[in-house]
Amino acid sequence: MTSWVDVICIVIVFLSLIILSNHRVAAMIGVFALQSFVLGLLPFFLHASSISSRDIMIGLVTMILKAALVPYILFWAIRHVSMRSEIKPIIGFGASIIFGAIVIAGAFWVSLSLKIPGQPASDLVLPCSLSTVLLGFMIMVTRTRAVTQVLGYLILENGIFLFAISLFDVMPVLIEMGILLDIFVAVFIMAIVVNHINEEFEKNTASVVQSNMGETF
Amino acid sequence: MNIIFLILSHWLIVLTLSPLFLGIISKVKAFFAGKKGPSFFQPYFDLQRLFQKNSVYSRTTTWIFCAAPIINLAAVLVLSALVPLGTFKAPVKFSGDILLAAYILGFARFFMISAALDTGSSFEGMGASREAFFSCLSELALFMNFITLSFVSHSISLSAMIGANFPLSWTLMGPVLLLVVGSFFIVILTENARIPIDDPDTHLELTMIHEVMILDHSGVDLGYMLYAAAIKFFVFASIMVPIIVPVQSGNTAWDMLIFLGGMLVLSVTVGIIESTMARLRLNRVNNLLLIAFALAFFGFVVKMWRM
Repeated sequence: MTSWVDVICIVIVFLSLIILSNHRVAAMIGVFALQSFVLGLLPFFLHASSISSRDIMIGLVTMILKAALVPYILFWAIRHVSMRSEIKPIIGFGASIIFGAIVIAGAFWVSLSLKIPGQPASDLVLPCSLSTVLLGFMIMVTRTRAVTQVLGYLILENGIFLFAISLFDVMPVLIEMGILLDIFVAVFIMAIVVNHINEEFEKNTASVVQSNMGETF
Repeated sequence: MNIIFLILSHWLIVLTLSPLFLGIISKVKAFFAGKKGPSFFQPYFDLQRLFQKNSVYSRTTTWIFCAAPIINLAAVLVLSALVPLGTFKAPVKFSGDILLAAYILGFARFFMISAALDTGSSFEGMGASREAFFSCLSELALFMNFITLSFVSHSISLSAMIGANFPLSWTLMGPVLLLVVGSFFIVILTENARIPIDDPDTHLELTMIHEVMILDHSGVDLGYMLYAAAIKFFVFASIMVPIIVPVQSGNTAWDMLIFLGGMLVLSVTVGIIESTMARLRLNRVNNLLLIAFALAFFGFVVKMWRM
């Protein structure tokens, strides 16, 4: 079912754009959970004729881990540091959307000249995963809050995961599970670190940590 | 002679059907509020009542204020002649009429904004400035949608782009059409002053955009304005419905039924959105419109990729 794979790819990029334009951290986490859920649906549509147990396993693990556990930890983190909204992004929200559109066009243009081994599920997988990676990267560098930066990293990882799924048949399942576990641990550590930053400095912007790095750490 | 007959019959359909869909929207909103709500035909009664009244003009206004409602109604009627209604072909079509369609809207809006400024009221001036700001962003998204659709259909005529003979189906161009439909829906909500952007029901000066501009119109003039708004929604919906449901069964009655059903579903959707969502804060509206633009642009990029 190529058309469903297409639709999922488009929806994932669209949700990244929504996260890019959003200013409320809770809403961003919610949209991220939705994006991960859609991503978790992807393995079910890869082999339309015969769904193997491996497809089901990857899909379910993605949904449980990325659409439920990681958002839960992030919600816990923002509740503990009582953070509501991204106040001062480096680039304004309107400009972010325009840049996002340009970045998407750039990703499509770059993937014209990229040749990947094997046959991907759909020709949209490569440009869409590249767009998601770049949009996630953009969120990471243009937002000032620690949690929103982590969210950018997670979106970037969703893009990589989308790309990995396109090479599904040649990629060992163990590596995918390892990646998922890494992400989980990273988010876990982030939540603890954000909590500690909050206790230490009563603020949770990443720049505070950088400026105090020499004295404290 | 034939063309005049075609245009008149086209306008007859538009004029008779358009207020009904506003009635459907308010019925859906009443249902969600747990009320019985006015009848489906309430907009017709309102228009009838307004057309029996005389207009009152403030002494500060000039001829622009009197002309704006008539120009507004005439402009949307001309626009409706360019748009096919389900199986009814558009009476006027030529290559490049998408530009005419977009700028007829701009023309009507120019006179509406001028009339609002003409009253000399500070509230109306505020509404006019908001309308000008949001409409210039929504025009960007509208044009991006038209560009994408014209690349999909290899034509720059509105009839060929969205007519009943829509050349592409969802299986071939699904992702592109999905993006265009999403983007166009936001444009519909903006152009018709619907809830995430503007509240059509409120009469609090601080929150409204479209309603504040017609605050000084009364009687027949107000009737013209309301009728023009109803027709505008009808025309936008009849552009969007054939994109979602490219009807090609061959049977005229069935096709028309499918088209009207699509219009009904679209009106109910707008009603549900109005009942369940809150109005956006004014400084967030431009982000929504930019998202509409980005969606259409994304659709364009995907179309280019697939070519």
